[in-house]
Amino acid sequence: MAVTSGYLGSEKANAEHHEEEHDPRESLMYDPRPRGEMNAMVMESMHTTSWKFWVVLGVLAFLVATCFFYAWGYMIAEGLGVAGVNRPAYWGVFLVNTVFWIGISHAGTFISAILRVMKAEFRRPFTRAAELMTTFGLIQAGASIFMHLGRVWLAYWMFPIPNERQLWPNFHSPLMWDLLAITTYVLGSTMYLFLPLIPDLAMARDRSTGWRKTFYRILALGFRGTEGEWRHLTTAMNIFAFAIIPVMFSVHTIVSWDFAMASRPGWSSTVFGPYFVLGALHSGMGAVAIVLVIMRATMKHMDYFIRKEHFDALGKLMMIVSFTYAYFFFNDYIVQWYGGDKWTDTLLHWLEEGPMAWMFYQMIAFNIVIPFLTLWNKRVRTTPWLLALIGGLINVGMYWERYIIVPVMLSINRMPFTWRLYEPGIEIYLTIGTFAMFLLFYMIASRLIPLIPVWEVQEGQMVHSLRKVGKAHVPTVSEFE
Amino acid sequence: MSNLNIDLNRVGAKGALAEEADGKWGMVIDQDVCTGCQACVAACAMENNIPFVMEEDAAYGRTLHWIRIERFWEGEYPEVRTTPYQPMLCQQCGSAPCEPVCPVFASVHSQAQELNLQVYNRCIGTRYCANNCPYQVRTFNWRDYAIEPFHANDFDGQLVFPLHNQFNPDVTVRRRGIMEKCTFCIQRIHKAEDKAKSEGRAVEDGEFTTACAQACPTNAITFGLLDDSESLVSQLANHKHGYRHLEEMNTLPRITYLQEG
Amino acid sequence: MSEKISRRDFLRLASVGAATTAVLTGCGPASRYVQREPYARMPEYTYNGLSTYYATTCRECAAGCGLIVRTMQGRALKVEGNPNHPVNRGKTCPRGQVTLQGLYNPNRVRGPLQHARGEALYDANFQDAQPNLDWEAAIRVVADALEETAGVAFLMGTASDHLFDLVSDLANAAGASAPIRFSAGSMFETRATLSQATENLFGRAGLPYFDIANSDLVLSFGANFLETWLSPVAYNFAFGKMRRGNPQRRGHFIQFEPRMSQTGSKADDWFPIVPGTEGMVAAAIGRLVAEAKGEPLPRAFASVDLEAVTSASGVKLEALAQIAQLVISAFAPIAIPGGPSLGMSNGLATAEAVLSLNALVDNFGKPGGVFLSPLSPNQDPDGYHRPASAQEMADFIDRMKSGEIKTLFIHGVNPIFELPKSLGFAEALANVGTVISFATFPDETAVASDYVFPDHHGLEAWGYQRIATGAMQSVLSGLQPVVSPFQDTRATADVFIAAAQLTGGEPARALPFNDEVAYIQSKLANLVGQADGSFNAPEINSFSAYFQQHGGWWKNSAEEVAVDAASALGRELMASQAQFAGAGEFFFVPFVAPTLAEAGANKPWLQELPDPMTTVMWNTWVEMNPETAHELGIDNDDVVKIISEAGEVEAPVYLYPAIRPDTIAMPFGQGHTAYGRYAQGRGTNPADIFGLLFNEAGDLTFAGMKVKVEKTGRKQPLSRLESRIGVYGEGMGEEGH
Repeated sequence: MAVTSGYLGSEKANAEHHEEEHDPRESLMYDPRPRGEMNAMVMESMHTTSWKFWVVLGVLAFLVATCFFYAWGYMIAEGLGVAGVNRPAYWGVFLVNTVFWIGISHAGTFISAILRVMKAEFRRPFTRAAELMTTFGLIQAGASIFMHLGRVWLAYWMFPIPNERQLWPNFHSPLMWDLLAITTYVLGSTMYLFLPLIPDLAMARDRSTGWRKTFYRILALGFRGTEGEWRHLTTAMNIFAFAIIPVMFSVHTIVSWDFAMASRPGWSSTVFGPYFVLGALHSGMGAVAIVLVIMRATMKHMDYFIRKEHFDALGKLMMIVSFTYAYFFFNDYIVQWYGGDKWTDTLLHWLEEGPMAWMFYQMIAFNIVIPFLTLWNKRVRTTPWLLALIGGLINVGMYWERYIIVPVMLSINRMPFTWRLYEPGIEIYLTIGTFAMFLLFYMIASRLIPLIPVWEVQEGQMVHSLRKVGKAHVPTVSEFE
Repeated sequence: MSNLNIDLNRVGAKGALAEEADGKWGMVIDQDVCTGCQACVAACAMENNIPFVMEEDAAYGRTLHWIRIERFWEGEYPEVRTTPYQPMLCQQCGSAPCEPVCPVFASVHSQAQELNLQVYNRCIGTRYCANNCPYQVRTFNWRDYAIEPFHANDFDGQLVFPLHNQFNPDVTVRRRGIMEKCTFCIQRIHKAEDKAKSEGRAVEDGEFTTACAQACPTNAITFGLLDDSESLVSQLANHKHGYRHLEEMNTLPRITYLQEG
Repeated sequence: MSEKISRRDFLRLASVGAATTAVLTGCGPASRYVQREPYARMPEYTYNGLSTYYATTCRECAAGCGLIVRTMQGRALKVEGNPNHPVNRGKTCPRGQVTLQGLYNPNRVRGPLQHARGEALYDANFQDAQPNLDWEAAIRVVADALEETAGVAFLMGTASDHLFDLVSDLANAAGASAPIRFSAGSMFETRATLSQATENLFGRAGLPYFDIANSDLVLSFGANFLETWLSPVAYNFAFGKMRRGNPQRRGHFIQFEPRMSQTGSKADDWFPIVPGTEGMVAAAIGRLVAEAKGEPLPRAFASVDLEAVTSASGVKLEALAQIAQLVISAFAPIAIPGGPSLGMSNGLATAEAVLSLNALVDNFGKPGGVFLSPLSPNQDPDGYHRPASAQEMADFIDRMKSGEIKTLFIHGVNPIFELPKSLGFAEALANVGTVISFATFPDETAVASDYVFPDHHGLEAWGYQRIATGAMQSVLSGLQPVVSPFQDTRATADVFIAAAQLTGGEPARALPFNDEVAYIQSKLANLVGQADGSFNAPEINSFSAYFQQHGGWWKNSAEEVAVDAASALGRELMASQAQFAGAGEFFFVPFVAPTLAEAGANKPWLQELPDPMTTVMWNTWVEMNPETAHELGIDNDDVVKIISEAGEVEAPVYLYPAIRPDTIAMPFGQGHTAYGRYAQGRGTNPADIFGLLFNEAGDLTFAGMKVKVEKTGRKQPLSRLESRIGVYGEGMGEEGH
C-alpha cells in the first residue's frame, strides 16, 4: 500500500495518463525494424551470457541438487515423517505446490491461446514466455504430486496398465481424473508450446553454427517457410489453440474437485471449479508480469520487444482477473457461511480467528485489496518494478489461499478431538527445490530457444501500419487471416 | 474377477448402490460403562502389530492408534465433568467416503464380510481416504516405525529387533507410506470363516470377537453378527440409547454407540 | 512325582476347557516333562500356522488376573484374558495386554552378572551388558550368602506367590528374618490401612472385597478402583455390571475426591471435597442416614457435627442430605474407601468411617455389599501376609543402615524407584555387604546391586499366586511358561533350591526338591481331592496338569465370612480433618498413572497409551486448575518446580479443569534413571518429594503434604492425543467451540 499511495488520486498522474495515449509509435506494432535486425537481436539475446548468469545458474543448480533431489531422496528413504503432514492435515505443502504450479501454468495457455483466439495484439511478444511457464510449471506440479505420495515408487499403479490381476485404477477417484487431466494438459501444452516455436527454431537454425545448428535443425523439423508449411502450421496452431482452452479450464476445475468432491467442511463447495480457474489465472498473470520484468531487465534487446504498452495491458488483465477472482472468493465464503453448517461455521471461525488468521487476511489483502487499489492507475501499470511487485504479492496471496485450503482447512474436521495445526517440515526445502528447478529450466531455455516469438512480432508489424493524416499518425490494421 | 469378492460397480459408488442391509459384522459400544481404561487400545496394538511412534511424533498427531478414546469436558469447575468416553475406531461404513476416492482401489469394500478393507500392498499413500474419512480414524505410516534402529539390539553390526517376536503372523507388518485402519480384526473373521467352512456351517455369532471387545474389562464393546436378529449385537444396536456418529452424512456406520443413562 | 509322563498322555489329561473355544494346554515348550523328539515329528504346538494357547497368570501387578497367551512356534503373540478365571473373567487391562513387550523388551538382563554398584547395565546406546558369570557361579554366590543366615534378608514384590512361600520356608529353616514384601502399588493402594481398618471392624486382617457389581449405589471416597487399585480388572468388570447388569435399575455412582480421577470421571455426581475430609463426610452421611431412618444414632456417628463437616469439606448440607436419601432408597448401597484419601494422617479413621457406613446399611457379606476377601487356598489362616507398610519399610531400612543385614536379596520390586527418596533406601544399601538382585529388567535397584541373577519374565515362569482380593471365592492362580526363556535367565526359586542344596544343613532339608516345579507340586498336594474346587483330580500329576490348564484352582462358591455389623457400629469414630505437612499453598495429590502403574514405563506401548484423563503420552505432568494457573501466570506446558519439605521435582503443567483450585496432582510411574531405553530419562518421579510421615496403620501419608509451586520459565510441550484446539478451544478466539 505504501508503495502506491503516491499515485492515488493524483491529478498529475491522470494528466500524464492521457498524454501517453496519444503516441502510437510507442507501440511495438508501429515501431517496426528490419526483419534481419530483429532476428539478430533475438539471436544475440540468446547468446549473451554474463558471469552473473552463470553464477545464478550455478546457485540454482545447486539448489535443485540439494533441495530437490537430495531432499526428495531423503524423504523417500525416511518416509513422509520428515515432512510436516500429520493427522488430520494429511495433505500439506506438496498439494499446495501442486495447485500453485498448475495455477502458474494457466497463464501461459490463457495468454497464448485465448488471446490468440481473441486476436489480442498486445500478446504477441510474450506468448512464448508465458507458454514456457506453462510447461515448466506443470513439471513442478507433477513433481509435487509425486512427492506427496507415501510410496512414490509405486506411482505407476495409477496408470491403467494391463496386468494379469486385472487391477485397474479407480476411475471414481478424483485423483484419477486429476492424473488424466494433468497428463493431457502437459502433452497439449507442450505441443502448443512447440508448434509456434518451429518458425523461430528454423530462423535460429539458419543463423547458428556448431552444436546449436544441429540442435535447431533437429527441432525445426526441416521447416523452410514455404507457403504450404505455413498453412499447415497455422491450421495446427488454430486447432491447438481452440483445443487447449477447454483443457485448461477443465484441468484446474478437476484439480479443484480433489477438494470439492471430498465431504469435508470448507471443501465441499460447488463453486470450487471456476473459483480455482480464476485463482490460477490470477497467480498466473502475476507470474507473467514478474517474468516479463525480469526478462526485460536481464536480457539484451528486450526493451525493444517488451514495452510499457504490454505491461499496461497485462496490468489491466490482472485487474480484471482480480475483480472476477474477488467475486468467486466471496461467493465461495459467503455461500458457505450462509449454509450455516455447524462444522463449516467452526471452520470459518478458525480461519478468521485461529492461529492462521494472519494468512487469511494477507490473502485477502494481496489478492483483492492491493490489485484493486493500484492497478486502475496507468502509471502503476506501466512501472515495471511496481507491476512485478504487485504480481509477486498476488502470487504470495494465491499461495496463501491454497495453503489455507489445504492444510489449514484440514486442521478442522468433524472430529474435534483430532484437530491439530500443520507445520511444514522438509516441504520448505522441497518447495525451494521446485522453485529453483523452475527458474533453472527457464534460464536454460532462455539461452536455447527464442523467448520472443519473432515471427509473430514480425507478422504483427506487417499488418499494422501508421498512416499519416495531416500531422496525426493513424494506426491501421489489415486482415491477415 | 469373480473370485475377488469385490464388486467394482459397488466400490466407490455412493447413494444408489449403497448397501441397503444393516451390514454383516457390527459393533455396539456402551459409553455408559466405558471407563476409558485403554485396554482396547493396547489389545488392538498387540493384535494388529501396530507400531508405536515415540513422544515427538505422538505429540505431533502421528500416533497409529486404530482405536482412540475421546473425551471432552463439560461445564466449569466445580460442576465440571468429562463427556462419556467415546472409543472411536473405523465405523466400517456401509457407504464409506474413503472408498471412492482411492485411485488404486486400496480402500475397497468386501462383499463377503461387508467391511471396508485396506489393501496394504496396493496402497500408494495418497492419503485421500484419510482426508475424506469424517471419523478421522485412518492412520498413516509416516515412517518405518517398526524398524527404527532405536528399538534394535546390535549384535556385531546386525540389528535385531526383539519386539518383533511378538508380531502376529496373521497380520501384515506395514512399512512406511501406507494407510491403515481398524479391520474389525479381519484375521479373526477369516479364521472363524475357515473353521465354519471346514465344518460345513455358517459362522455363528459369538464364535470369536475382536481384540478390543475381548479385552474390554467392562464389556462396553460388543461385537457380532448384525444380520442375525438373535445376536446380542443386533439387539443392542436397536437399543433406545443407541445412536450413530455423523449419521447425517449417510455413511451407514456399522458401529452403534449407547448413550449414558 | 518324578515319573515322566509323555506329552500325549499329558494332553489327554488336559482336556479342553468347557467355556473356552481355545485349546488350552497345560504344558509348554519349556516343560521339563516333555520328551524330546526329532524335528521331523513336529509336536502339535509348533505346527505351522497353528496357535497354541497357554493359561497363566499376569505378573504386571499383584491382582493376579488369569491370562491365556496365544503362542505360535515358540513365540508369545497375544495376551487374552482367561474367561474362567474368577478375578478377571476373560478381561485384561492395558498392562496385561502389553506384558509381551516386557517379555520381548530390548533391554533385559541377559544373564547372571556381577558388576560394580552403580554401573549401568547397558551402554549409552542401550546395548545390554554381557553376562559375566555362569549360573553355577551364581548359585555358588547365593549359597555362600545363605551360609551366614543371620545377616540374610529378602525383599520381594507385593504378590504372595510360590517364591514367597519358598523363601519363607528357607528363611524359617535357616533362621533368617522373614521375607518382606513391598511395592509402590501396595503403598498407593494403602493396603496396610485397609487391612488395619478391616481388622478393627471385622476382627480379621485382610483386604475387603466390594461387590460393586450387585450394588445400585456406589459411594467412593477417593478409591480409584477403575484404575490401579487392588484389582482393577475385577472392579472394572463389576462396574460394567453395576451400570448395565440390571436392566431395571442403573447403578448410581458418587465420588468424593479433590482431583477428578479416571474413576471419578465415571461418577454421576462428583464432589471435589477438601483433601482429608473424606472420613468426616462419610460419617456425616452415616449420621444423616441413621437420623432419616429414625433409628437410634449408632455410637459411631453420634458425635458428628454436621456444620463442621460441611464447612471443612466444602460439601453442602443439602447435598449430603440428598446423598443420604439416595442411600436410604437404594437396594444395595456400598461405600468404598481407598486411594489418596487413606494416604493421609487420618487415613485409618477415614477407612473406618467409610466401612462403618457400610455397617450402617448392613451390607456386610450381602450381595452388593462388603466382603472380607477369602483366604487363598493353602494360605496360612493365622494371618493375611500383607505387604509391608512404608513404616515397616522404614524400619527395614533402619536395619540396613545399622549394618545388621549382610546380604540382601531383592526380587520383584524396584525399591530405589518405588520407595520415596526420603526413606533413604539407596543410601542404606551402602551398609549392606552384598546386594543380589533377581531383576528381569535392568532397573535402578539392579544397577545398585553387586550381582544380578535375572529371574524369568512372568510369561516364562512357573508358579502360583494367591489372590488377595478381587474375587469372592478362594483363588490360587497358576503360572506356567508359555515360551522358553528368551534370555539366559533362571527361575529364582530354582536358584534358591540349588543354593540351599549346596549349602546343606537346614536349608537343604527345608527345600528337598529337584526344582521349582517339584516345590510347587508339593504345595499343591493338599488341594488334591478338595471339595467345591474348579476341578478335581485323583493325584498330584493330574492335578497339576489341570492346574496349569485351567490357570489355577479356585473354589466354585463364595466364602461366607461372618461379620458383626453391630459391633462395628458400636465403636467410637475418630473422623476428623487430616494434618498436612509442609507450608505450601497447594495440597499435593500424587496418583498412580493408570496406564503405566509402577513398572510399566519400560513397555513402549504403555508409554504410548494416552492417560485416560489428560491423554498425555510418554511423560509426567502436573495437573493444575486453570483458574489457579491463570492467577499464577502459568500456562500449559510451563515447567514448574514443586517444592515439599522433603525435596523438589519439576514437570510441565497440564491445565486440568477438574481439580480443586488449591490442589495440584501428579502421576507416579515415570522418572526412571535406568530400566531400559523406553523408561530412562522420561518424566519425573513424584515419590522424590514425599515426606516421611505415616498414618496410624503405618502407611505413608503420600497425599498428606502441602507444597509450593514455582515457575521455572521453561516450557516443555506435552505429547497429548487430544487436540487442544478441539477440546479446549485454543486458538478459536474468545468464544471457543
